[in-house]
Amino acid sequence: MLLELNNIFKWVQQGGQRVFLLKDINLEVEEGEFISIMGPSGSGKSTLLNVMGMLDTFDEGEYNFLDEPVHQLREKHRANLYKQYIGFVFQAYHLIDELTVYENLEMPLLYKKISGSERKAMVADMLDRFNIVGKKDLFPAQLSGGQQQLVGVARALISKPKLILADEPTGNLNSKQGEDIMELFKQLNSEGVTIIQVTHSEKNAEYGKRTINLLDGRMI
Amino acid sequence: MFKNYLKIAWRNLIKNKGYTAINIGGLALGMAVTLLIGLWVVDELSHNSHFENQEKIAQVYQSQTFNGRTGTGPAIPRPLEKALRDGYGDNFKHLIMSSWTSDLYLKYNETNLSRSGNFMQSEAPELLDLQIIKGEKDGLREVNSIMLSEDTAGALFGDLDPIGKVVKVSNQYDLMVTAVYKDIPVNNTFNDTKYIIPWKQYLASREWVNEAEDQWGNNSFQMFVELQDNGDMEKVSQTIHNVKKDLNEDTAEFNPQIFLFPMKEWYLRGNFENGKQTGGRIKYVWLFGIIGGFVLLLACINFMNLSTARSEKRAKEVGIRKSIGSQRNQLINQFLSESFLVVLFSFFIAVVIVLISLNGFNDLSKKEIFFPWASGVFWLSSLLFILFTALVAGSYPALYLSSFRPVDVLKGTFKAGKYAGLPRKILVVLQFTVSVAFIIGTVIVMQQINHAKNRPVGYDKEGLIQVPTFSQDFNGKYDLMRSEFLNTNAVVEMSSSSSPTTRIWSNRGGYTWEGKPEGFQEDLAWTEVSPEYAKSLNLKIVEGRDFSRDFASDSMAILINETAKKYLGMENPVGKFLKDDDEEDPSPPLKIIGVVQDMIAQSPYEPVKQGLYVFDRFDNSSYYNLRLNPKQSASQNIAVIERVFKEHFPDIPFEYEFVDAEYGEKFASEERIGTLSGIFTALAILISCLGLFGLTSFVAEQRTKEIGVRKVLGASVFNVWRMLSKDFLKLVIISCFIAIPISYYVMNGWLQDYPYRVILEWWIFVLAVVGALAITILTVSFQAIKAANSNPVNSLRTE
Repeated sequence: MLLELNNIFKWVQQGGQRVFLLKDINLEVEEGEFISIMGPSGSGKSTLLNVMGMLDTFDEGEYNFLDEPVHQLREKHRANLYKQYIGFVFQAYHLIDELTVYENLEMPLLYKKISGSERKAMVADMLDRFNIVGKKDLFPAQLSGGQQQLVGVARALISKPKLILADEPTGNLNSKQGEDIMELFKQLNSEGVTIIQVTHSEKNAEYGKRTINLLDGRMI
Repeated sequence: MFKNYLKIAWRNLIKNKGYTAINIGGLALGMAVTLLIGLWVVDELSHNSHFENQEKIAQVYQSQTFNGRTGTGPAIPRPLEKALRDGYGDNFKHLIMSSWTSDLYLKYNETNLSRSGNFMQSEAPELLDLQIIKGEKDGLREVNSIMLSEDTAGALFGDLDPIGKVVKVSNQYDLMVTAVYKDIPVNNTFNDTKYIIPWKQYLASREWVNEAEDQWGNNSFQMFVELQDNGDMEKVSQTIHNVKKDLNEDTAEFNPQIFLFPMKEWYLRGNFENGKQTGGRIKYVWLFGIIGGFVLLLACINFMNLSTARSEKRAKEVGIRKSIGSQRNQLINQFLSESFLVVLFSFFIAVVIVLISLNGFNDLSKKEIFFPWASGVFWLSSLLFILFTALVAGSYPALYLSSFRPVDVLKGTFKAGKYAGLPRKILVVLQFTVSVAFIIGTVIVMQQINHAKNRPVGYDKEGLIQVPTFSQDFNGKYDLMRSEFLNTNAVVEMSSSSSPTTRIWSNRGGYTWEGKPEGFQEDLAWTEVSPEYAKSLNLKIVEGRDFSRDFASDSMAILINETAKKYLGMENPVGKFLKDDDEEDPSPPLKIIGVVQDMIAQSPYEPVKQGLYVFDRFDNSSYYNLRLNPKQSASQNIAVIERVFKEHFPDIPFEYEFVDAEYGEKFASEERIGTLSGIFTALAILISCLGLFGLTSFVAEQRTKEIGVRKVLGASVFNVWRMLSKDFLKLVIISCFIAIPISYYVMNGWLQDYPYRVILEWWIFVLAVVGALAITILTVSFQAIKAANSNPVNSLRTE
């Protein structure tokens, strides 16, 4: 089992009342799964994804990741965990504007304290695999949206994560570019990477093997 | 990793050129000011540190009490030497008597110079740690010897070997050069000692010195000591406290206290008030140190404000890095290395600024500071300085920026919260508080200087020159010279005096007069003058009459000043006598024939001292005072005077000083402080304004959309301008309210040091507030008007 959520609650206080963002979420994810999370705006999709990605906290419940109790871990330990096993892909790509494609890809490796020569090899490998060798010295602003997202995926993959969390990865792309990214995910999944994506699109959801529907913070 | 940080920092700097310029420019200015002040402070603190045995050297000081007021100074009587040598000699490694540092004429062949120096006992070269270049260190053994500084020897002998050559001193006696010593550095008390002549020669050539051997009341000499290597300054000082009191009854009524004043305190803590040590220049070291610290703080605040104001731009990067696995401390390190990079750049620019401005700074501060290229200590402290600045400037932005939660910033909904701007506002208030306080301080210093400058001096100092007549060659020549000078038409009046117009060199007491209170211990300034003194100075006679050559009895007559009239308690002083209270051998009584207006001869910040002007019976003057013919140019007059002078005294160099310039010297120290603090204030304001300018541009950028909406809804340029300026003006007004009481308190304290001082008036503070507001409006308006004039369509389309 890759991860397990038990009775997860998350809320905010508003005018003395609890407004629930997540309500009693129970979810088990096995390695090698491809899961799509769907639901209307404000239903808690992204929040759930962020909780799974350990970017966000929750107020109640248990979260085990590779048998480690995330809810009991200290921040440093938690960061080590997701640094090692989790890659993020964002709707708005979120590349660092001041760094080139090459440097953006290199960055996660820096935080993992991987040696210089090894980094070089891994980045070259990734550039090659995604066919963007010619673009390695360009800055994000010099790329199209599809290309930027490609770099985004490559960056998520470079540290060889077990799990990729994608928050509407095709939201800012045209349909052709979107399709390419989804095909890429499908291929990665077939290679054994677990993928959880948030999406609005039925068509994209179908790439997944399992779909979770959320409404007002509840799984339905 | 570090490389990556620097790369990102560098690209950020390049990308935002305006921001970078403001940031680095401001920091560089701030650091340059701090560096300059640092060099100045080090120079001040290292005064006299040239002596290796500095810790063990002291000057013998004396405190005496007259009428309940204790005066403290280095003047001691000659018998003290014997008393210390006989009774306490074991404590001292060296003990030397010394004359005051004064000018003498040195002549070799045709070269004739006027140089300052001292008569000292033979151990002086040891005590002063003189570095002998030529000749022998023990060069003061023979009565007819002289030791010269390198500079003096060069000026006298050029390339010739000075050792063994004979120098004629003041046209009176011949001395043989026994040694040449390395010039004593500028920041040293003995810098003016360009020659040393044996003490024995002092005794031999001056009768009054010789006679002073047993005169406990004749405090006309100096004494320096060096303690034994294991000696305790404080202890030795204690043991000699009462040595004079115990040995001499006549002066015991003044309670003379003898003590050792350690060398390391001479320069910075040389003020005594009523017997207590009250600091001295150290207060300016503190003052400038604090100014330097504040200016640096202002520059750091700019960095903090601009960095955090740009937080929204950096927030995304923080979010991404965190989501990729960066920990907070890694981000803190990243932002700190960014600030380190900026500070490093700024430092190099600051060094360039310092190099460019060092000459001007030296002129202003009257220093000879060199850039310490070769000093390891300097570079090490510079490194610490850079690290410190980077930490101060970078810590708040680093903590602030690294605290963003990735979920918030990556959602794209991140807006700095309502209170995110509060620390920034506090920092702006702090900046302007400092700036406004600086403005007020500078205005008050300037005012005080002007106040003292505008004080009537009591005589006409324009067009008056004084010519030193230190040689005995001048004795008995006064009448001749007077008629010669008057004949040339270059001089309209002339007098002589025993001290310069701008100084008091002699004080006396020991008189009785009608109505003198019981036990009153008078202390009167004493100036011997020729009968034309008041006329030549245009000094007004307020009562009685001036000296006249028509009355032979005037040779025992005196004039007193107005303060003396009050001091002596005489309703009608004219015709009264001052009688010598020495019953065994009284000198003839002095008859008061007139009262002259008070004239400022000492500090323009202090009340005029009670003084006597005594008829100079023996033509024993130290200065000729010449009133130049106002119908001719000064240079013409002086050329004529020099020619006449040379005819009569071919062996004496002709020297002169304009009395008004000499008088102006009295303000030099205050003016220096005024100018320097003025410059630092201007820089402080400039730095603050740079920061404000940067901040406004970010605020305007942040509120672009709001401005667009407002304009669409009908806001005028003026409305928008007011909206943007109002926030900053509020902060500056708050600053003023904080700065005014602080600066009032501090400056009021500063003014207490000056008995003659300006009254703090409310308009100074209003002026500072108005000035600060005007500067703020100017700074803010540029950006505000630019933002207000932008086309709303552009700003709204991007959404």
